[in-house]
Amino acid sequence: MEILIPVLTLGFLGVVFGVGLAIASKRFAVQVDPRLDKVHGLLPGSNCGACGGAGCFGFAESILSGKMKIDACRVASDQAKEKIAEVLGRQLIKGLKSVALLHCNGGTKVKDRFLYQGIGDCVSANLVLGGQKECVWGCLGFDTCVQVCPFGALTMSKEGLPIVDFHKCKACNKCVQICPKKLFSLVPLAGKVYVACSSYDLGKDTRAACSVGCIACKLCEKACKFDAIHVVDNLAVIDYNKCTSCGECVQACPMKTIRTRG
Amino acid sequence: MRRYLQEFLKGIIRENPTFVLALGLCPTLAVSVSVINGIGMGLAATFVLLGSNIIISLIKNVIPDRIRIPCFIVVIATFVTINELVMKAYSPVLDRALGIYVPLIVVNCIVLGRAEAYAQKNSVLNSLFDGLGMGVGFTLALILISAIREFLGAGTILGHTLIKGFEPVFVLGMPSGALLLIGLLLGFFNVLKNRRA
Amino acid sequence: MDAAQFLTIFISAVFIYNVILSRFLGLCSFIAISKQTKPALAMSLAVMFVTTMSSIITWLIYRFLLIPFHLTYLRTISFILVIATFVQFVEMVIRKISPPMYRFFGIYLPLITVNCAVLGVAVLNADMFFVGNKAVQGSFYYSAFQGICVGLGYTLAMLLMSGIRERLELCHVPKAVKDFPLGFIIASIMSLSFLGFNGFRF
Repeated sequence: MEILIPVLTLGFLGVVFGVGLAIASKRFAVQVDPRLDKVHGLLPGSNCGACGGAGCFGFAESILSGKMKIDACRVASDQAKEKIAEVLGRQLIKGLKSVALLHCNGGTKVKDRFLYQGIGDCVSANLVLGGQKECVWGCLGFDTCVQVCPFGALTMSKEGLPIVDFHKCKACNKCVQICPKKLFSLVPLAGKVYVACSSYDLGKDTRAACSVGCIACKLCEKACKFDAIHVVDNLAVIDYNKCTSCGECVQACPMKTIRTRG
Repeated sequence: MRRYLQEFLKGIIRENPTFVLALGLCPTLAVSVSVINGIGMGLAATFVLLGSNIIISLIKNVIPDRIRIPCFIVVIATFVTINELVMKAYSPVLDRALGIYVPLIVVNCIVLGRAEAYAQKNSVLNSLFDGLGMGVGFTLALILISAIREFLGAGTILGHTLIKGFEPVFVLGMPSGALLLIGLLLGFFNVLKNRRA
Repeated sequence: MDAAQFLTIFISAVFIYNVILSRFLGLCSFIAISKQTKPALAMSLAVMFVTTMSSIITWLIYRFLLIPFHLTYLRTISFILVIATFVQFVEMVIRKISPPMYRFFGIYLPLITVNCAVLGVAVLNADMFFVGNKAVQGSFYYSAFQGICVGLGYTLAMLLMSGIRERLELCHVPKAVKDFPLGFIIASIMSLSFLGFNGFRF
């Protein structure tokens, strides 16, 4: 009798819980589309958010429901995207590829206006009077963007500027978002020419702070045959819809601000 | 035979549950106020670990996969209850010293972790030696921590005062000191690990 | 039922004997999840919910099943069974109601089962509010309230820790103390500051 009671009690508890869970699992059953797992498996799984979806799983759900295009994923290889299109019985519509570019060439060429002793992070340094550099628009040289890149495409050079590895860059937009000076932008793969400056200061002020800054002399505007580059607010801006990467502006620029990327 | 010895030794140094795997830190810090408590807890955990590893590796082919975690927990809870009753009967002082951490061996990450990661996939003898190794490793880690805490925090070892007139560092006897000590020890073992790599 | 008793439970569970910083319950998830505030907050709310509900259910089982049949030695098994079942149930409900939240929790939701804090508070209730196998007057309310307060204490410690660790992410620390060791050292300083609440009485 002494053994029977605990056995019965525990058995009773076990049965109650087991039955309860079984009922609950039926009541709260979730219908899962079998294609969801397959699509999710074909995605790269880096959860970078560049597509605008909630991670790779959210993106898989959005593709299935038709809310997003398969090509919105900038990381997946073309074969993977073709396979996904196959699984869903759809056609793959391709978009244009881009890469991230740093619009600054100052780095260690620009002097410091004060000694900054604080957290070694660009966002934090930017809070202190806009950073320690003479040029208030330029790169501060801490490695915040390097840390945030999920693909290891950014490395800090000896000149205090981040270098983009164009093979690894997947244009996920993380460096664009994190840079407090907004120095990164996504440029189409075909665009080989870029303005390596983001300073809206008057020409003489830019010249005083940095030897390779844009002085808004408009020589590039005159040299361009395609009307692709204009000086707006003391800074040269390239319209990549018109630019053919002919390189005339690169030759014309006296400060060597406009550069060709490798 | 060599193989079993290796499984046993692995739990002591290379995969020490406290310092390398960082499992089961809750009871480690709570009971390591004195060496006796540390040894007591270590032996209790070793007993539960041995028992549960053996039983689970015996019945691993019978349990359906979806309910394996609740089944493991029931097996472990059984051994913990046996342990509790034996402790209450034969060493009530130790039982009172360890307090609520005796039933908490059930949710000790080491026990469930080894069941999930090892006993589920290996033979009975391998699991036995693995459990023994992990348990001994855990006990040794406990002895190390509680020796430091008891000596510096209360000036005694196993209840005997070693140095006359030694003013102990009270904070080591408190939770704060325990957390500090485990942080420093983990850092120290990390340095050793990095140096070896 | 004593209003002062409720206040005592609140002060001791949240401040003086804070479940993480003083009783060391729930350390594993504390160190693992407290790196960012959002997951930390979500985890603490989940833990608070589970501790409250399991305090209630385990009280009922202890009072009406284990004590009448003189089976108090079965409390460890039955308590952990209750907790495991309840967490499984919560997992199912969350999965149905809000799949993003379910994926957000990931593996940490089933891990609440082995969170020492949950079983710890159930055992604490059984030890504190049952004297000689009889329930103290009002023990049901005390137990449920202690469940809530333990959850609050857990939340407080998690929020403080995640705030500190978020800022530490930006600093360069020696490789050996990255993550775990540094987390423990910070927890030790926090625990030291919580010692200041000792002696608080009415």
